[in-house]
Amino acid sequence: MSFFFLHPVYLYGLITASIPLLIHLLNRRRLKRMRFPAVRFVLLSQRRISRTYRLRHWLLLALRTSAVFLLVLLLANPIFQTGVGLFAGGGPLSLVIVMDNSLSMKWSREGEGFKQAKEAARLLISSLKDGDRVAVVPTNTSERGQIRLKGEREILFRELDTIQIAAGSADFSSTLGKVYELLKEPAAQKDIWLITDTALTDWDRFSMSALGQHDPLIPLKIIKITGQEGSLNATIKEIKMRGQGVGVGPPIQLEAWVVNFGNKEIKELLVQLNIDGQNREQKLISLPSKGESAVSFLFPLSQSGDHHGYVMLKKDGLAGNPTSYFTLQAQDKLKVLVVDGDPQTSLVQSETFFLTRALNPAGERDSSLFLPTVIIPESLSSVSLDSYQALILCNVAAIPDVFLPKLRDYVRKGGGLLLFLGDRIQIEDYNAKLFQSAPALLPAHIREKRMLSEAAAEKIEATDTTHPALQLFADEILKDSLKSSRIQGYFRTDSSAGSTLLSLANGDPVLLERKIGSGRVLLFTATADRDWTDLPLKTAYLPLIQSLASYLAGSRRGTMDPGITVGSAKPFSFPPSYVGKSLKVIKPNGKEREITFVPDGEKATASFQENDLAGIYRLSLPTGETQGATQMYPVNSPFLESRLETIGERELQAKLVPIRAEIVPLDSLEKGGTRTDLSLPLLLLLIATLASEGWLAQRF
Amino acid sequence: METKKINGERSYFDPLVLARLSNLYLRARWVVEGIMSGIHRSRSKGFSVEFEEHREYSPGDEIRRIDWKALGKFDRYFIKEYEDETNLRAYLMLDTSASMNYASDGITKFDYGCILTASLAYLILKQQDAAGLVTFSNRIESFIPPKARRGYLMEILHALEERKPSGETSVGKILLEVAGKMKRRGLVILVSDLLDEPEEILKGLRLFRFKGNDVIVFHLLDGAELDLPFDGNILFEDMEEANLKVTADPQAIRKIYRKVVQEYIEHLRKECRENSIDYQLLSTSAPLDHALVSYLSWRG
Repeated sequence: MSFFFLHPVYLYGLITASIPLLIHLLNRRRLKRMRFPAVRFVLLSQRRISRTYRLRHWLLLALRTSAVFLLVLLLANPIFQTGVGLFAGGGPLSLVIVMDNSLSMKWSREGEGFKQAKEAARLLISSLKDGDRVAVVPTNTSERGQIRLKGEREILFRELDTIQIAAGSADFSSTLGKVYELLKEPAAQKDIWLITDTALTDWDRFSMSALGQHDPLIPLKIIKITGQEGSLNATIKEIKMRGQGVGVGPPIQLEAWVVNFGNKEIKELLVQLNIDGQNREQKLISLPSKGESAVSFLFPLSQSGDHHGYVMLKKDGLAGNPTSYFTLQAQDKLKVLVVDGDPQTSLVQSETFFLTRALNPAGERDSSLFLPTVIIPESLSSVSLDSYQALILCNVAAIPDVFLPKLRDYVRKGGGLLLFLGDRIQIEDYNAKLFQSAPALLPAHIREKRMLSEAAAEKIEATDTTHPALQLFADEILKDSLKSSRIQGYFRTDSSAGSTLLSLANGDPVLLERKIGSGRVLLFTATADRDWTDLPLKTAYLPLIQSLASYLAGSRRGTMDPGITVGSAKPFSFPPSYVGKSLKVIKPNGKEREITFVPDGEKATASFQENDLAGIYRLSLPTGETQGATQMYPVNSPFLESRLETIGERELQAKLVPIRAEIVPLDSLEKGGTRTDLSLPLLLLLIATLASEGWLAQRF
Repeated sequence: METKKINGERSYFDPLVLARLSNLYLRARWVVEGIMSGIHRSRSKGFSVEFEEHREYSPGDEIRRIDWKALGKFDRYFIKEYEDETNLRAYLMLDTSASMNYASDGITKFDYGCILTASLAYLILKQQDAAGLVTFSNRIESFIPPKARRGYLMEILHALEERKPSGETSVGKILLEVAGKMKRRGLVILVSDLLDEPEEILKGLRLFRFKGNDVIVFHLLDGAELDLPFDGNILFEDMEEANLKVTADPQAIRKIYRKVVQEYIEHLRKECRENSIDYQLLSTSAPLDHALVSYLSWRG
């Protein structure tokens, strides 16, 4: 039941209803003063007639005010409506039906909500009379055609049928902005009907300031389609990768964070991992109400290159987006060149024995991410560094002059260098070539050697676990293992030009870093073997070496891409030679789109906007320097779109102020209703009021 | 009857007015009251011989009035003058309270009352009767005892000219006070708007009658006081009581107002009639001569 006006603009005229009152007040203000001898008679007369007179006076004032009031109401054409009363009476109607087709609609009313929303829209369209014009506006659309008001019902029904549930959130600010634009044209009546599940996530984002221009006089009716209380509601919040990159061979650890939005605990929820179309692993978990849990998957990849996958939740009656997509770009094994500065006939006594074992513990080609190659310093002059992702120098006495330019070029181009020191090191050579001459590579100036007795050996005390290379050591076991190692010999350093990652109890640095462009140089001030430290015998050694090597490999490591959110743009950046060339994007539904690269500084860039579906988007790259470029990317629905919590009616109405929003339950729409034009009764009332006023005025 | 327009200047002796009044007045007094000497003999027989003053003899004076004792003392002829040589002692009582200063159209009630009082004094003195004057508000402002002396009129007129209307009215109280001062009975002529408690006024008037006085009441009202002919909302402020004020729409209350005023007048008229008091309502909008003539006609 509601009451509204067909021409609410006339309601501004209600101000005129105050005119009789103003005249009355003005007259009171304009009071004449008169000195009079017979005031006692006036007073007596006043007393005698006071009650009747005042009553008549106020009655007359009320009648005059009412007359103006009624006249204004009459012009505004009031309509009384029972139920939802569909568009009877009044002049031609311009109606916009806004369909919330955001992802959350998929689970409203146990999956029937969107269907019912369409039926409601169909009912609205059916109720129209000749001359009325309607537009159906979905909140999520990638269609580029312009929406306009039209009167042909069959076309409107067809348009309604094409609207599908989208994978993203609803942007009500932008959608309503379009609606008010559509309703700019003059019409006798204007109405907006918004059919939505009132999902809190979508309405949280709404703000009147983002809406911009609007007409608060156009009534907005919101048909609320809500889900049933107590349904299971969970989704995958995010997928993270643990460990150091994605490579062929070693197992990859993925963590899927599953969140329960509901008030019920979810038991036996199946979480399934699919890679390249094959189910690789699945786990059963329990989720506490309003809680979240991480599900860990460990799996190897046998081939380098692009892989795609998803994690899926499975349980009967589960509401919420069950699938989260990701892609993996698996790198071949990381090739590490290890230079043994103190080779021995006994392998165990070799400077690089522990190091190479840490990089490839099993000694097999397929089981490790790293493929170490050991050479002696004499080979440095002839070796090509380009095919190695990291270079490790262990106790190499001096840097050969012919090798120095190659080393500098390697680091400058993004290569990673790890220096272990030892008894063979010529400090002057290192300092002169790698620190004092430009471009300097060493993170610090190497000073004197410090040798300690076994009893006085120093401990590693401080670890920068915020550094990407040492994040693993946030783990207490690994940290304790690292701290339990003893260092009997090391080189002291000063004039540090880099940062300290590990340091001794006395404050002397053990591991320092210097970044040169995208290249990285790490300096370990002790030996790589057991000569000066027992670190190689500790548990922490293997993860430390692998972590440092992986860090040095930098961008050349394989990665996991959790993707972008539906509705976001996907940017691409290529060398400038690609300006003008096209990139083909194949959407999850198989539709192909082309985008063209444009110049952007020293690069050629392109952006793909039409990421409106969740899934894997494949790319058909132009020929040229695209080797190693990713061939696919994932797009996921915003995880909060799965949250079925709704916004309160009052809160929603408050958010829409000054727009007059009326919440209409779906059931009442189905029941229908009537509209009554109140113009005639108002006219009769106005005539009666005027007649009464005339009669009463005569009596004065 | 011809109307004489009277402005602010006090034309007490307008010949047209006085020419009409003298005949009518004499007739009225002599026929109805029969107490004035000149036309009829007094019912009190003989003159009063109350000595008032001596004056030197001048040729033409009656020999019998010479005070021989004074001749013996001063060796000069003196004539004895007596105060009362008439049968009528008239007290002209004029209300001079602030309410009398009201005029809706030209002449105030006070001015009108002054002319009326002066005219009556003139007529009374011309008939050799004694005329006195009492002006009052809520107290006696001036009291000139009645005398029939030649030239006494000027004293009365002077007293009238000196008076300015001010103060509150307390007619009833003043009547009682004046009645107390009167030693001999006579005629009391009250000129007032009577805007006071009616019972108090009537109490004073009854006391005059009780003491054997004749009483004539000229109830003087402005035309606006009778009709309330105003428009629009008006804040009426009383001319005497500063705190008495009321906002009213005259158009709305006019009918009731007229009724209230008429009830008041009728009440006074009825009470006066029952106490043999002559009551005459005079409106300042009516010509002065007309008012006097109509009174004397009614009197007769």
